[in-house]
Amino acid sequence: VPLVYINIIIAFTVSLIGLLIYRSHLISSLLCLEGIILSLFIIATLIILNTHSTLASIMPIVLLVFTAFKAALGLSLLVIVSNIYGTDYVQNLNLLQC
Amino acid sequence: MSLVMVEVHVRIMVTYIVFVLSIIFVISFVGVSSKPSPIYGGLGLIVGGGAGCGVVLSFGGSFLGLIVFLIYLGGMLVVFGYTTAMATEQYPEVWVSNKVVLGAFILGLVVESLIVIYALKSGEVKIVFEFDGLGDWVIYDTGGSGVFSEEVTGIAALYSYGVWLVIVTGWSLFVSVVIIMEITRGN
Repeated sequence: VPLVYINIIIAFTVSLIGLLIYRSHLISSLLCLEGIILSLFIIATLIILNTHSTLASIMPIVLLVFTAFKAALGLSLLVIVSNIYGTDYVQNLNLLQC
Repeated sequence: MSLVMVEVHVRIMVTYIVFVLSIIFVISFVGVSSKPSPIYGGLGLIVGGGAGCGVVLSFGGSFLGLIVFLIYLGGMLVVFGYTTAMATEQYPEVWVSNKVVLGAFILGLVVESLIVIYALKSGEVKIVFEFDGLGDWVIYDTGGSGVFSEEVTGIAALYSYGVWLVIVTGWSLFVSVVIIMEITRGN
């Protein structure tokens, strides 16, 4: 049903805007990235289920596999930043020395 | 009396339950994206994942909906929750404790309700494409062969065409474990 598609595209856009705007934490941007991937997965699954294209059902599962890899990589970088600075505020990521 | 009214509302709303679930999906993403504090963002993602799983299940994709629940919520968000508990130590701020967060959340709710009311009043929403018809509730079925049962979700697990893909993803996950150990070891 097209109205459900509109809602999920709105959710994708909301998460995209949330990814581009920083507040104080780095991990909340990673959470918005996870939200983007979840909305992409759901809209791909809905279109594949509606058009009955059977063989393309492999795609959402493989998307989740590579999402796990990306989330782990982002979290490991966050752990390094947190080990150096104590917390993960984005104002710590400032190499400017003057 | 009020119980009868609640029952009538529920009976009318059940035909539109997919729409209600997708609205809950959008509202939870607005709650994540207005960035309260990482723990509550994770809570919003859990609710959104549950609503998304409900949407996929009501379109008939049972295997993919359960994958959302088990692998996405149970695997990756648990990892996010533990890392959040480890990496951020402070006083967490809720959605109502900071004016910026509350303002962003209310702004997202207002925009979403405007679009929903516009879509419910007129029959269609013209943004770029033309999404028309609230009432296309018929999922076009090809009258599938009744011999072997589920069409789509059964062949999602058929790995006879995608053997090379399975090998590539398995190897890349193994390499990613090695990479992350190397990154976390640092200097």
